[in-house]
Amino acid sequence: MKHAMKHAILGAALLAAYVGVPLLFGGTPYVMGLIVAALTIAGVALAWALLGNLGGMVSFGHAAFFGVGSYTSAVLSMKLGVPVFAALLLGGLGAAVASVAMLPALRLRGPYFALAILAYAHIFQILATEMTPITGGAGGLLSIPRFPTLFGLEFGGKTGGYVIILTIILLSAFAYDAVRRSAWGLALKAMHDTEIATRVIGVPSTHLKAAMLALSAFITGVVGAFNAHFISFLEPDYAFSSTWTVLPIAAAIFGGYRTVWGPVVGALVIYLLDQLVFKPILPHGHQMVLGVLLCAMILLSPGGLLPVLLRRRRSEGGRHAHA
Amino acid sequence: MIELTLQALFSGLLAGGYYATVAVGLALVFGAMRVINLAHGELVLLAAYIAYAAESRYGINPVMAIPIALVVVASASAIVYALLSRIEHDREINSLILTFGIGIIMTNGILTIWAADIHSTTNPWFQDSLVIADTLFAMNAEVAFFIGGLALMAGVYWWLNHSWQGRAVRALTSNRNAAMLMGVNPRQTEILSFMIAALLATFAGVAIYTGKTVFPSLGHVLTVKAFIITVLAGMGSIHGVLIGAIMIGVIESLTVTYLSASLQELAGMLLFLVVLFVSPSGLFGGRRALAR
Repeated sequence: MKHAMKHAILGAALLAAYVGVPLLFGGTPYVMGLIVAALTIAGVALAWALLGNLGGMVSFGHAAFFGVGSYTSAVLSMKLGVPVFAALLLGGLGAAVASVAMLPALRLRGPYFALAILAYAHIFQILATEMTPITGGAGGLLSIPRFPTLFGLEFGGKTGGYVIILTIILLSAFAYDAVRRSAWGLALKAMHDTEIATRVIGVPSTHLKAAMLALSAFITGVVGAFNAHFISFLEPDYAFSSTWTVLPIAAAIFGGYRTVWGPVVGALVIYLLDQLVFKPILPHGHQMVLGVLLCAMILLSPGGLLPVLLRRRRSEGGRHAHA
Repeated sequence: MIELTLQALFSGLLAGGYYATVAVGLALVFGAMRVINLAHGELVLLAAYIAYAAESRYGINPVMAIPIALVVVASASAIVYALLSRIEHDREINSLILTFGIGIIMTNGILTIWAADIHSTTNPWFQDSLVIADTLFAMNAEVAFFIGGLALMAGVYWWLNHSWQGRAVRALTSNRNAAMLMGVNPRQTEILSFMIAALLATFAGVAIYTGKTVFPSLGHVLTVKAFIITVLAGMGSIHGVLIGAIMIGVIESLTVTYLSASLQELAGMLLFLVVLFVSPSGLFGGRRALAR
């Protein structure tokens, strides 16, 4: 009974997301563009939260994976003629490979890891700027191939892009949830409580953390690659911009980084607020509001908003049951 | 060729001096509170912009603006401390995100008030060149603030080793619980470390404004650089910070001279990663491990 209802709700949500949203906003490219951009942030936020929640690692360098993913995919499709959808996955793979370079940082504790990964992000940005023959240097890459038309569905437009990024997010959330429920997830949870004890009983903690880093990098890379083909333009300052780190962190903290959907909801709320409310008021310093939000969340509700809201609903439900 | 190298070494040494004043503040706060203040570079930047505002609006010499900047930066630093001390759970990670957020607020606040333009002092004396031994060139500001910075750091070094309060900071750094048992008041000592860091940040900010250029996104760059230097030094070692800062300064200036200015940041980052590979506890950190 409970399961059936859960499935019904899930089905309705999927239908609303895949059919309802395009029907409602498909005619207004501006709104569709905003939603796609918000979901792009949501994808990175999800990957960031996966690393934080399962791996116990805070990263200030997710822009590195985003940038590597976008450049890998763009260059492969432009210079080697790789089909765009295949290039998308290879972009994720590229980011995962880039995360291998960060493995030495895994033996560092919290703050050191967070900042070491920031250093990596800077290095990748400089490399993208300097490797002019491949990346086009500071001038960037123009007219990156857009998504093709497959099975009569046009993926190159705003609505097509929406369907793709939505699918990426759903698959990522599914993978995240599967890992969380697996034996790995249990081991990672134990590791969060006490790493030494977990290692003593034979859990290869470094391997698990490396796997989470690679998975997080892969998702971020795919999202970056999606963005490159969606907007069809790249330059190092944009692809490796700290925006790709700051917005997802704010989104994940706001929504609750210990949940699967918190970061996604957080990204939709934060990005749309930022673009529609704060940017018109403060055209240059509108990220200040994100900073305020981040500080307020850490001080007032470090678990994020989604868990708080859910708990309130649950406790209200409990009260009804008692009455 | 030799002249060029000597000049690069000299410029690197001078740059290392001001990197060190930024990094010592970061290291001090980390020592006392086990918190990396990611808004530290923004505090430095705030001081620079106060000096800019004082000079451009009221014609006050940047050096004379130091007291004004100190009041502002110390107040900002006190606010950072007050917010940080409210964190109860997962202090290590939450304090990082909190100070990261404060840094974003400060950068964008500066951007909103003073716009994204690049600023530097308009006082010609600071930018006049000074020739040493007929071959080495530097700006007056660079040399003056290098010497001033060394004196300030020597003062901090003396304070840490010889005053009761300074020793309390070191005691907290090495063993928090034991220090508290010996009668060290942790809150008082933490506040003090934040104030000393504010003093160093103010000095560094004015030094950058007179000897280099300032722009809103510089704060973040300074924080990262200061962090890299503290890691090179090994946390908690003041003379290590000075040596690490000069190493970074020299490597950057050699890179600019012989390779390309755009690779300047890369050199420091690579050095940082190599040190993390080879000796995660830093070059002078002894056995105090950064790694698990």
